[in-house]
Amino acid sequence: MRNPLIKRIPRELKSDWHKYIVIILFMILMIGVISGMYVGHDSMLEAIHAGQKNLNLEDGNFELTSEASNELLDEISNQTTKVKIYEHFFRNASEDDDGDGEEDATIRIYKSDATIDKATFLEGRAPENDTEIAIDRMHADNAGISVGDEISVGDSKFEVVGLLSYVNYLTLHESNTDIMFDAFGFDVAMVTPEAFEHLTSRLHYNYAFTYVDTPKDNIEEADFSNDFRDDLIKTSYANANPIQNYVPEYLNQASNFAPSDIDSDTTSSSILCYILIGVIAFIFAITISNTIEKESTVIGTLRASGYSKRELIIHYMSMPIIVTLIGAILGNIIGYTAFRSIALNLYYNSYSLPSCELVWSDTALIKTTIIPLLLMFFINLFIIIKRLQLSPLRFLKNDLTKVRRETARRLPKWSFLARFRLRILFHNLPNYLVLIFGVIFIELMLCFAFGLPDSLNYYSQNASDMMFSKYQYVLMKNKDAMGNVITTSEESAEKFSSKTLMYPKDSNVTFKGYGSGEDEEVTVYGIVDNSDYISFPKTLKEDEVFISSAFADKFDLDEGDAIKLHEEYEDKKYSFHVADVIDYDGGIAVFVGNDNFNDIFDKDTDSFNGYFSQHEITDIDEQNIATTITADDIKKVTTQLQHSMGDTFVVFKFVLIALSASLIYLLAKIIIERNEKAISMVKILGFKNREIASLYIVLTAIVIILFTIIGFVASYQLMKWIFKLFILQMDGYFAYYMRVQSMILSMLYLLAGYGIVSVIDFMRIKRIPLDVALKNVD
Amino acid sequence: MTENFLEIKDLRKSYGVGEARQDVLRGMNFTVKKGEFCVLLGPSGSGKSTLLNIIGGIDTPDSGYVSINHDILDDMNEKQLTMYRRKHLGYVFQMYNLIPNLNVKENIEVGAYLSDNPLDVEEVLTTLGLQDHKYKYPNQLSGGQQQRVSIGRAVVKNPDILLCDEPTGALDYKTSKEILALIEDCNSKYGSTVIMVTHNEAIKHMADHVIKLRDGVVRHNDINENKIAASELEW
Repeated sequence: MRNPLIKRIPRELKSDWHKYIVIILFMILMIGVISGMYVGHDSMLEAIHAGQKNLNLEDGNFELTSEASNELLDEISNQTTKVKIYEHFFRNASEDDDGDGEEDATIRIYKSDATIDKATFLEGRAPENDTEIAIDRMHADNAGISVGDEISVGDSKFEVVGLLSYVNYLTLHESNTDIMFDAFGFDVAMVTPEAFEHLTSRLHYNYAFTYVDTPKDNIEEADFSNDFRDDLIKTSYANANPIQNYVPEYLNQASNFAPSDIDSDTTSSSILCYILIGVIAFIFAITISNTIEKESTVIGTLRASGYSKRELIIHYMSMPIIVTLIGAILGNIIGYTAFRSIALNLYYNSYSLPSCELVWSDTALIKTTIIPLLLMFFINLFIIIKRLQLSPLRFLKNDLTKVRRETARRLPKWSFLARFRLRILFHNLPNYLVLIFGVIFIELMLCFAFGLPDSLNYYSQNASDMMFSKYQYVLMKNKDAMGNVITTSEESAEKFSSKTLMYPKDSNVTFKGYGSGEDEEVTVYGIVDNSDYISFPKTLKEDEVFISSAFADKFDLDEGDAIKLHEEYEDKKYSFHVADVIDYDGGIAVFVGNDNFNDIFDKDTDSFNGYFSQHEITDIDEQNIATTITADDIKKVTTQLQHSMGDTFVVFKFVLIALSASLIYLLAKIIIERNEKAISMVKILGFKNREIASLYIVLTAIVIILFTIIGFVASYQLMKWIFKLFILQMDGYFAYYMRVQSMILSMLYLLAGYGIVSVIDFMRIKRIPLDVALKNVD
Repeated sequence: MTENFLEIKDLRKSYGVGEARQDVLRGMNFTVKKGEFCVLLGPSGSGKSTLLNIIGGIDTPDSGYVSINHDILDDMNEKQLTMYRRKHLGYVFQMYNLIPNLNVKENIEVGAYLSDNPLDVEEVLTTLGLQDHKYKYPNQLSGGQQQRVSIGRAVVKNPDILLCDEPTGALDYKTSKEILALIEDCNSKYGSTVIMVTHNEAIKHMADHVIKLRDGVVRHNDINENKIAASELEW
């Protein structure tokens, strides 16, 4: 005979359907999103890994000052770490998409006959003649370029014949030290070798390599890379062709950022999902705990009749497990269909990824079904076992308190209603604790949903103020091919010197930095006396420098602190003391006088390598300009993030309101259900509905308002800290910022959710009949 | 009815400590034969419910023992006690303690599920006069009907002992008599030993064996040679 208690489950589901619908929808949504993300994630990673094999991804690349001779290449190939070298020259040119003569992006062009770092085509084909070009799919999407359109690259016009994804440019990082990729202002492209030769912009002598012996693991790969780099520096300098750039593949952001970001997305989403499922599990546990309390005499009778504890545990465990299973099954179905496409679209919206096919994901099954089930199982098991510990007699006598207080808790001499509310609070403490946790958690999420777009907007709006000058030109050398000092007729131009050094990130930082390894890139500026662009607050002593406020904030540096910088590719170290902080949030920078700069770095007197300017400089040959920095370059991080995540945040805010409202709804419902008898009794005593509501609803309102405020303050501080940790992983600086309006809204959103729930609560209290307090069986 | 089925030997039980200590059972001795209808009679605080709970294995004595069919309950661990209640006991309480979202038939099946040789549920429903109500939920029944269901839940197990704790305590005169008649029927029809706790003196007339308790000890232990049918009881 089947246990007849099983029949209770569908009836329980039916009779309290609105509660279970909220919970099941909640779970379907959570599990569906995570499942979709994992399936999308696994499908995408599979496609990426397949691409890495089939498209001959490099093990690293380096750039030399000039073209390497065959002898030099032979020498490099046969260093301690043997490598195969591929010529992989590129040019950076300006891209004009709409023919208005203004640069829309920097485009990096490779030849179509490359045998390394090849591309897949998402649309169209490879270029076949001098007038054809294939460009990155993501950039084309952002810039509104389609196959068949015409674009200008430098002085040449090309027809776009294909949209591609290069295996080594899954994200459009122009430089490996960029804090963020920039699919708006940067593009990669493929032209025929002939067309490549016709381009006039500076040729970058870049070489890709693969190891002859494949490294066994990441550790060996890092060893190979370090050995190779050390030898390469010596060899290149010895051959008077110094290395300009070196990027091992495992540290290449352009190829690693997307997979690792996809991974971290799923990890953080899973953690969110587990926290929410944990909250749901506690809500269940509280519900069941209340049911056990309500059914105490029935349980006592069943136990007295011979039902074992195990049978009752299984019975009370069934509901949460069944609800989780329903959520998991439906969630997975939606995950594999609708949410997978959403996840893939999110990826395609941000990254230059190849096309991918649906793959079965074991991880999705484990993380979306097994782990939530286990979470639900153990949390409920723990609470139910604890509740069913008592003897059958205690259940029969409805005597369920484990520890009986000798006397009632003494309360302050407040009004009767205030003391009554306090008693309700103590009586329902576990419910209120889960409610408080939920409120704080949602407030944290709201701080994230409001704060990140605010921070991006703030950074974006203030980007031009963060620049010393509208234009910053970094020259290749300060003399042209004829040996003449490069000058300009631009009146606002002012010479400066700059050099990139590395600042070791603190080893006790939680997260290891990536991008530039474990070092932060610091730009050291040599500023001329009486500069129009940067004014020094005081005179510098020997070994003293000024640092930018971004540098000071990121690493908690202050006046008087010692900083040690070192060269990236040479064994040279520099020690300085911070004289003062200059208000500049645009980058991690150090400032010294130009003469001092030339002394420190053994440069000739009057040496310089760049110009600050308020207007565009047009009379310096492009070949002599290494980089041009404008406000747009500073803004590109935020522009990209705003594009990738903009809509998501709006949706996220509304999901959070729904989430907070459902959480509060469930918990408030439980609290009122638990107190039905008491409410019925006070009704009999003559309390009006309004008075009863003021007891129960006002109490919940006080708790929610209080903890919304506390939750906001705590979350705001926590977000600042999380942001700082996050930014420590990367180069550059970007502080967490929240507008006052957003601060207020983040609390109002949550309270608005509660407002709706309190109306439902009032109606619920009104509906409780008088006889509940008097009935034996309901 | 010759064999001693239930033996209560020097049973003692107290609650509380120090000055608050209250001796509820103070050395209780008696035996009940198999198939007997035994009434434990006594005023409030005489220890009758405590005694019933100890016999039912849901409470334990401080000293002395309860032996059922030569098995001593005190020797059993929690699991064995659960099995003992499952296989041998049926419980009827003053409050019916039915499961609200199971209908009448299903509430009776809750008892049947526990037994290796349960009675036919339909037959029990007929015996208890619940056929017309079998698909109703407890909140659609009167108090008397709910108590019938709770008796059905207990007897359907075909228990060796039916323990009834003030089964008519919450019922009116007429319904009480109907319920007592039903318990009487079950006793004669299925041969269960019935031990009923009550403070209603009139009920002793329908019992084979009447044990009067006061202050935790047995004051009278009488075999009733002239028992009458429940329907003839008056109070």
